[in-house]
Amino acid sequence: MSSDVLDPGLALVGQPRIDWARRTMPVLAGLAGVFAEQQPLAGLTVAACLHVTPETAGLVRLLTAGGARVQVAASNPLSTQDDIAAALAADPGVSVYARSGLDRDAYYEHLHRALDGGPDLVMDDGGDLVNTLHAERPDLLAGVRGGCESTSTGVARLRRMAAAGSLAFPVVAADASATRQLIDHTCGTGQSVIDGIIRATHTLLAGKTVVVAGFGPCGSGIAERARGLGAQVVVTEVDPARALAAIVRGYRVLPMADAASVGELFVTATGSPDVIGPAHLEVMRDGAILANAGHFDVEIDVRALADQAVELNPAVRPHADEYVLAGGRRLILLAEGRVVNLVAAEGSPPAAMDVSFAVQALALAWLASGEAMPAAGVHAVPAAIDTQVAGLALSALGARIDVLTTAQQEYLESWRQGS
Amino acid sequence: MSAEAVPFKVADISLADFGRREIRLAEHEMPGLMAVREEWAQERPLTGARITGSLHMTVQTAVLIETLVALGAQVRWASCNIFSTQDHAAAAVAVGPDGTPDDPQGVPVFAWKGETLEEYWWCTQQALTWPGEPGPNMLLDDGGDATLLIHKGAEFEAVGAAPMPADDDAEEWQVVLSLLSRSLRETPGKWTAAAAAIKGVTEETTTGVHRLYEMAAGGTLRFPAINVNDSVTKSKFDNKYGCRHSLIDGINRATDVLIGGKVAVVCGYGDVGKGCSESLRGQGARVIVTEIDPICALQAAMDGFQVARIEDVVETADIFVSATGNFHIITAEHMSRMKHQAIVGNIGHFDNEIDMAGLARLPGVKRTNIKPQVDEWTFPDGHAVIVLSEGRLLNLGNATGHPSFVMSNSFTNQVIAQVELFTKTAEYPVGVHVLPKHLDEKVARLHLDALGVQLTTLTKEQAAYIGVPVEGPFKPDHYRY
Repeated sequence: MSSDVLDPGLALVGQPRIDWARRTMPVLAGLAGVFAEQQPLAGLTVAACLHVTPETAGLVRLLTAGGARVQVAASNPLSTQDDIAAALAADPGVSVYARSGLDRDAYYEHLHRALDGGPDLVMDDGGDLVNTLHAERPDLLAGVRGGCESTSTGVARLRRMAAAGSLAFPVVAADASATRQLIDHTCGTGQSVIDGIIRATHTLLAGKTVVVAGFGPCGSGIAERARGLGAQVVVTEVDPARALAAIVRGYRVLPMADAASVGELFVTATGSPDVIGPAHLEVMRDGAILANAGHFDVEIDVRALADQAVELNPAVRPHADEYVLAGGRRLILLAEGRVVNLVAAEGSPPAAMDVSFAVQALALAWLASGEAMPAAGVHAVPAAIDTQVAGLALSALGARIDVLTTAQQEYLESWRQGS
Repeated sequence: MSAEAVPFKVADISLADFGRREIRLAEHEMPGLMAVREEWAQERPLTGARITGSLHMTVQTAVLIETLVALGAQVRWASCNIFSTQDHAAAAVAVGPDGTPDDPQGVPVFAWKGETLEEYWWCTQQALTWPGEPGPNMLLDDGGDATLLIHKGAEFEAVGAAPMPADDDAEEWQVVLSLLSRSLRETPGKWTAAAAAIKGVTEETTTGVHRLYEMAAGGTLRFPAINVNDSVTKSKFDNKYGCRHSLIDGINRATDVLIGGKVAVVCGYGDVGKGCSESLRGQGARVIVTEIDPICALQAAMDGFQVARIEDVVETADIFVSATGNFHIITAEHMSRMKHQAIVGNIGHFDNEIDMAGLARLPGVKRTNIKPQVDEWTFPDGHAVIVLSEGRLLNLGNATGHPSFVMSNSFTNQVIAQVELFTKTAEYPVGVHVLPKHLDEKVARLHLDALGVQLTTLTKEQAAYIGVPVEGPFKPDHYRY
């Protein structure tokens, strides 16, 4: 099948970058040998909706090593790296439908192309692929054994589909793997969001008041790193349990209505729309910086910002637009309100994605194996996969751990033994 | 009470066994002192030294005293605070490692917890009185009271009499004057002879150092002094790391309140405030700092702390800690506006950072003692605040102050300073000196092994490149660490 990439000649640029990322992805490298030998995906077609980056290229190659044919579509028009798309498209068994900067229609067209021919397995990032499959390609549903979804946003959509009885096959919620949440969300997203903000603004975080909206795995990682750089961090939350977690870690928790006037940098990491809305924008300090770390560009109400602005100075720095409001206040919006770590920086570092992608690949292998026949619906990552990935990541870090003795194992399994 | 020397006076000599057990534990945590004992075991450089010490008679101080003895010194000791003696430590020092309560063979120590002011100065006088000698030939001081007694005694002997106490003199000064009047009558010339015999004093703390510099500037200092307080391994360590440890300990023992999630206000961001802020944050509190110095305020902000004025946050915080060295930082008016059961404590040296007198004067305020060193003060509207240690140092009042390891740094400086002054008297003219940097570095070095620190050594070429000897000292004197 033909790919659709900007310039196949860019493969020469992309290939060394994929090789570089692979060096820092030891878990995928370790699994590649296993997949090549065991061929868990032999003869299967995987439709994959991914950010087309050097790291996802490693995932695609793991799937093909395991015997799959992979049809890739971009999960975000701004995040596609054309040289990587070209390099992947040159691989046998891989088709790529991704170009940077595409409009919405072209984006959905690419999703359809990835579904063409009917996948056996789907791998989604945000839920658009699965949604398109159900809404517009129902004829293909019967052939799908299952899939996995890598983002919390996508999983939330899938749960709503499942609750409505609309989800036709089992999907593994790869976002909720404990190992994945720690390494990818808390550490990887936490680090790369800060990276993106600093690249886009070159602002000093020490001494700044940073408002982090949402204290889930991503938000807590962002808050922790901002504090590590010397910022005073204010957290906003809707969930009392998460708000309490923030408070006992020493963060100030405020409603956004109160935080809006004290923050100098705002980072949204909630999954919800309109977390920063017109009323907040009205009271923000001159020079405040707005960034979104959530998957979709809905968390900051960019339209309201544009409405309130009397002047727009686009690209005062790359990925930083200055909105001048009536009265002269200037607000800086990063990455047009899109996911700042991918747009202004390079996304989660490869080592973080290494773990996530290993979970996803093993989830697809588990579905393909047929050893469990999960019903249609959203399923947690099997504990064995979590443990396996954590073990691979640990050995890559050179860490060694203890093993329970038989006596300890028996003690833990018994209810008769006490002190 | 007589000025004649007596063997020792402690609260209860039968506590010696308990004291000895604690001293053994402390020795393990005081590697610097144990290392100098070993280093100088043969040489015994303090042989011939008669050291009078005036310093909190605690378990850690017992390890210091026995180190001085191991180095050959004779020692007499008093505490430098009426409340700070640990009676079991005093008893163990009096009994000594080889004695028994029935046959004490230790060091003459004059100290017990809860001395009156008369008793306190009697103890100091006893420590300065050496049978068959004009007095000590070395002083080890904390706050400068031993130095003060000798200087004032000699000064009054020179003019023939101590002034009569006046009614408006501070109570403590009246006690000193009447003690010296009696001494001038009973043993004329005692203090002048004592001062002449003294080779020098090593001073432990800021307050005492301040007095020494004033005397040196005024030309009244009679012997050389080493300012131990300003060794890097003393002030930068016990202020920051000691308080970081003992602040939390004091709050926990006093209140057992969960610190995670609380809002804590730390007044002052000097070395003590920095340690306090770090430990409160480490427990999960949100810390707000108050400051008057723009440099320290900026440091706090860059470390990620909110910097505010106390009057703006007094109604919203849960824990207040004063660490400024100034007075009336937390006023009665502040306390009256605090949240119900806000915790108020001081970790600064003196007990005037929290205006306790003003609090007690508020009409209708009521004090309820919860347990020792913890009081609830209830305002007429029914809300209350919890005040720790009556506004005195809460890390000492509610916990046990600096831990042994931190004190090992301070006291190793003391021992080295004693050896310097005693063996190299000619190199230290009358005046106030700090320990040379290579000795400061030595103190640090002696504590590395216990922590498993692997130190890197400069190559000759590297040392030449930055212009320092391979073995140090590594930094210029003005380096701030």
